[in-house]
Amino acid sequence: MNIYTYAIIDSKERLCDYIIGIEGAIVCNIAYRDIGVVVSKLGEQIQNITKDHVLKHEEVVEKLMGKFTVLPVRFLTQFSREEDVLLMMQEFYNDFRENLDRVRNKIEFGIKIIWAGETIRNRIIDAYKRDNANIAIADSSPAKNFVKEKFEKYKIDKEFAKEAEKCIALIVDFFSRFIAEKKLEKLKTDNLLLTASYLVEKERQEDFKEAFERARRTLSDLKFLLSGPWPPYNFIVLTKKTDMFNGKSINQNLASEDVV
Amino acid sequence: MTINRIVETDAPEDFIEEIEKVQSALPKRIDANPKNVERGLAKLVLTLIELIRKLLEKQAMRRIGGGSLSDEEIERIGSTLMKLENKMQELKVIFGLKDEELNINLGPLGDLM
Repeated sequence: MNIYTYAIIDSKERLCDYIIGIEGAIVCNIAYRDIGVVVSKLGEQIQNITKDHVLKHEEVVEKLMGKFTVLPVRFLTQFSREEDVLLMMQEFYNDFRENLDRVRNKIEFGIKIIWAGETIRNRIIDAYKRDNANIAIADSSPAKNFVKEKFEKYKIDKEFAKEAEKCIALIVDFFSRFIAEKKLEKLKTDNLLLTASYLVEKERQEDFKEAFERARRTLSDLKFLLSGPWPPYNFIVLTKKTDMFNGKSINQNLASEDVV
Repeated sequence: MTINRIVETDAPEDFIEEIEKVQSALPKRIDANPKNVERGLAKLVLTLIELIRKLLEKQAMRRIGGGSLSDEEIERIGSTLMKLENKMQELKVIFGLKDEELNINLGPLGDLM
C-alpha cells in the first residue's frame, strides 16, 4: 500500500465532502489526537510526476482550505504504512499544532515586482565611469588592473543593491499595515526586484488587494504580479527537520510561477 | 467555500522571462548518478570553492574600499585572486560546467549565491 499525503488539518473528523484525489483515489482524513493528516490510499508509490498529479494535489489542498486550516504537505510525500503516518504525526504533533494555531484564518499572497534593473545598472556604470575617468593607476600591473576591474564591479553592485533597497522599502510600506508576516527575496535576477510572500488575515484580504492596486498605481514604472490566496506554503516553521514542508514546494512553483 | 484564486499582472511575458532565468540557473538538486557521478561531485565541490572565492574577493574589496591596504598588499591580493579565478576557469572547462551552474538552491533559505 502507498499513502499519499496532501495536508495536515485542524480536524480529526471524517471528511464530509467526497473528494477525489491523485489517480482517482478517494481522499480521507487520518486522525491523530485533535488534528488529522489528509491522504489518499494508493496501490503503488507514484514515481513519475505528471502535470495532472500536481494539479490534482493542488486542487485537493484548495478544497481543504475552504473548510479547514491547512498545512500543505510537500508534493509527493508518501508513506508505505499507516503506522508510519501516525508515527510522523506523533513526532511532529506539537509543531503542527503550533503552526495550525499561527496560520488559522490566514492565507498567503505572492507578489513579484520587476523594475528596469538593466537600465538602472547601466546608469550606475555610466556615472561610475564619469566620476572615475581621471583616476589613473600608478605603477599598473596585471594584478593591480585585475583588482581595479573587480573593485569597479564591487562598487557598481553595491550601488545597484542600494538603489534596490530604496525601491523595496517604498513597496513594502504599502502592505505593512495589512499583513501578519512576510518573507522577502530580493534581486533574484537584475530585473526581478522583489519576490514577496505575505501572510494575511482572511478578513483583511480585500484591504491587501486594495493596497496592491494603490502600489501599482503609485509606482507605475514598476511591473507587478499578484497571486493568491494560497495555503501558507512559506510560513510553516518546524523545530525538527523534515522534507515534508521544505519551503516552496513543487506545486507552489508550478502554480504561482508557471501559470501566469 | 470556494477559493477565488487570482494571478494578476499587466506584464505576463516579462514575469515568465525572469522566472525562467531563475529556474534555468538553479537545478533543484546536485545531479549525481552512477553515469555522471564525477561531474555531479565536481559541481558540488566547485560550487563550494566558488562560494569561498567570492567571499574572499568581497572581503578584499571591502578592505581596498576602506583604504587600509598598501600598494604591495593590493598587488599580492590581486595576484592571488587572479590565479584563483584562472584556476576555477580551467576546472570549469575540464568538467564542462558553466558559471550559472555553480549554485545550489537551499530551499527556504534561498540560493547559496
